[in-house]
Amino acid sequence: MDKKGKSLSETVWTRMDRKAGAIIELTMRQLRHRVSTWVVLGVGALLMALLLTFYVDSVRESFEPIDNDGDSEDNDGDGYPMGQERKYGTPDYDPDLFPGASVFVPESDIDWNDADRTVALNKSWEGSAFFEASWIDDQYSGEWWDSHVDWNLNQEGTPELTDCSDWELDDIVESIWSEACDMGDGDGDGMNTYYVSGKWRGAGVATVPENYYLLWGFWTEEVYVEPEPPEMYINEDGIDCFENYILRGPDWEESRVDCPSETRLSGSHGFDNDGDCLALDDGRGNDDNNNGIPCDVQWFASNGVVTRIEADRLVDEDPDEQEYIGELGHRTFVIAVGKMAFVILLGLFIPLFLSLGLVRDETENGTLHLLLSKPIHRAEFIIYRLSGYLAISGTYVVGLSLLVGLISSILGPGDQLVRLSDMPVWIGIGVATTLVLAAYGSLFNAMGLISPKYGVYLCIVFGIWEFMMGSFSIVNPNWTVASVSISHWALQMIDAVVLLAWPDTIQWAEMDNAFEIGSGLSVFWQPPVHTLGTASAGIALLNSVLVLVVVTAAWVFIAKSVFSRREIL
Amino acid sequence: MTMENQEPPAVLIDQVSKWYGQVIGINDLSLAIDGGVTGVLGPNGAGKSTLFKLMMGRIKPSQGSVRLFGVDPWTNTSPYRRVGYVSESEKLYEWMTALDFVTTLARLHGMTREEAADRSTHVLEFVGLDDVMHKELGKFSKGMRQRVKIAHALVHDPDLIIMDEPLHGCDPLARTSIMSVIREMGEQGKTILVSSHILEEIERITEQIVILHNGRLLAIGNLHAIRGLLDKHPHRILIKCEDPRSLANQFVSQEPVFGVRFPREGQLEIQTNDLSAAHSVLPSIIVNSKQKITSIENPDDNLDSLLSYLIKEGS
Repeated sequence: MDKKGKSLSETVWTRMDRKAGAIIELTMRQLRHRVSTWVVLGVGALLMALLLTFYVDSVRESFEPIDNDGDSEDNDGDGYPMGQERKYGTPDYDPDLFPGASVFVPESDIDWNDADRTVALNKSWEGSAFFEASWIDDQYSGEWWDSHVDWNLNQEGTPELTDCSDWELDDIVESIWSEACDMGDGDGDGMNTYYVSGKWRGAGVATVPENYYLLWGFWTEEVYVEPEPPEMYINEDGIDCFENYILRGPDWEESRVDCPSETRLSGSHGFDNDGDCLALDDGRGNDDNNNGIPCDVQWFASNGVVTRIEADRLVDEDPDEQEYIGELGHRTFVIAVGKMAFVILLGLFIPLFLSLGLVRDETENGTLHLLLSKPIHRAEFIIYRLSGYLAISGTYVVGLSLLVGLISSILGPGDQLVRLSDMPVWIGIGVATTLVLAAYGSLFNAMGLISPKYGVYLCIVFGIWEFMMGSFSIVNPNWTVASVSISHWALQMIDAVVLLAWPDTIQWAEMDNAFEIGSGLSVFWQPPVHTLGTASAGIALLNSVLVLVVVTAAWVFIAKSVFSRREIL
Repeated sequence: MTMENQEPPAVLIDQVSKWYGQVIGINDLSLAIDGGVTGVLGPNGAGKSTLFKLMMGRIKPSQGSVRLFGVDPWTNTSPYRRVGYVSESEKLYEWMTALDFVTTLARLHGMTREEAADRSTHVLEFVGLDDVMHKELGKFSKGMRQRVKIAHALVHDPDLIIMDEPLHGCDPLARTSIMSVIREMGEQGKTILVSSHILEEIERITEQIVILHNGRLLAIGNLHAIRGLLDKHPHRILIKCEDPRSLANQFVSQEPVFGVRFPREGQLEIQTNDLSAAHSVLPSIIVNSKQKITSIENPDDNLDSLLSYLIKEGS
């Protein structure tokens, strides 16, 4: 009992609680009776359902094994995947060249300046020569670009070619290309001599004109090589970390484990499991990261967290999707939905529909007289109205975030039934969106009071500004101008919450970039900016919450100042 | 002197003026009201609603001061704990039931939910809405809505009740009901201010009136005293009957009557300087005439006549 003999339940504070409860309840019931409330909340729920459908259709699909480096493809249709062709040194663009195919083996040549310019052999030839043929293989042929000579044999097996016996040498070498001409049997030994330029096979004496060359060799026997299944070249080059040195046989070797390795994060990692980096000759020693080790990945860590990864090309480029892309895609989905769908879209549209007329509409409807004839200060009235609006909208976004979080956690990668580690992030998204709803709610309500007639247009202008700044903040949170927006601070909250809930997100983002996995994590998430120089996600979170609360309070104060001076006619 | 005597009056208006741009709403009005039912009379635009809005802190006086129980209602909401207000606005939360509506507004006085529901049930019974208190307000007639508004103004047992045109637009049954509610509250010792532009309405509720005209206080005091003044001045009595001329013959010989007219067929207009005296001789003349009388009206016994008289007297 107090001095006046009233029980504690009758004190000013208790009465204020009751008044607050009554107006909050009235506001909630009013909002529940408005069609626009159900429309905007329904559209929000529909949007989330669509995003979850997208998750099932797209993100979950990425958990299935994907051939990131494309070496399971058979581009030339010769039945061998690119990875197998790489191993055998055959190209994947020529169907005639495949593992085990007959290949030309050069033996010797007569170069342009060799002294001895005549040779008598039965070979496959390539170049230019006067060829006194004892035998010609008319089956030796290829595509036109191979410059195979067409001998045009008649029924007796004799070549029928242009007669160039009386041509000048210069005319012959200038006009005969990819073909042959008949020089006749000048020495009368019964074997014609031909001038040949291109590729051919035959037995005879070849004399190479000055300043021309002739190469000869043989084709190997074609052997059958069993084509390997394309699946062999999917997920065949995962992200490796060398955990430690172990004694293997007579030598010490690094023991390789899949990343992330908890015991040794910094250092040279990576292993070219499929050999495509080692087979590549990029002219720079296959050392793109310039750490002196070809075909490796250099990892950099600080305070137990990987902060940077630099990979040589084609190393660890085809990791296991379930293990890596699944996780990356899932985190990207959570962050992107949190930022774009919750903070920017729901955060803007819900207040636009629900908060603009919180006080203004009571004036316009003529029901404000009923409420203000009661012992309530106008500032109290604004705060209680906003509380009622927040009770509905905040409950909605927190509930929706938890629901979307639960469903995506069940669908997400990992062995556990529900990814519990996601829940703090979803709670953070719900709370960040609620703070945005409070800030925009107080702002839009103030706009409705400042200009009952044109407030909605002011709100739309604010909304466009916020949408733009929010989008810029996602891409570049360091851009100073964007910090003059409410959405920026809410997005910073999500960045901070993500880092607190998933401390290895920097590492995942680096892995995404280094191994060109392309999940988009680094587009939607970057480490929080406003850490006051501490690099602490906790400080960034507190900082962002404080800014949002101060902005909300400032707009409530502005609304109160306007409303307290307003005459209600 | 007792403690009660030291308490400031329920309503104290001190040299208050209120302008809306170039238009004047209230002009140098001073008034103190404490206890009983006071009718605030005035034609439309006289400043009744402006006066009430000043009292309820909706608008700020351009000059002068307004005090409810000694407190400025523009800057302080504490007087509203003791004030019940029935606004002229007809808008209610249509989706609420009457009980719900009154209970919700009662909670704004700091009552618990149960206390508010009990009080609301009680006041709804008091205004005669006990059988419809669970119906939605959207289905209520004009008279029922006015009674709901009165119920919400009474729910916290206020000392001062301000009612802006509570009878406006109500059917006769609702008027009677609301009038009896106001009279009963007055009998309970509340200070009640009721505005109207119809003299008869106020007359049936109270004798204490305030007359406003063009934002100014035209008269304040007892209605009968004011009307007595009016009675001593030329009045007309309009009688609709079968043979006005024969009836006129009987009237012209009577002292209070100084002239007769026949404005239309079947109508007799008697002109008198003493309305009460004229009415006292009226029954016997009618009985003696053996005519069928359709109606007897006093065309000058209305607010407009009263106002014209008061304005004329004041000038």
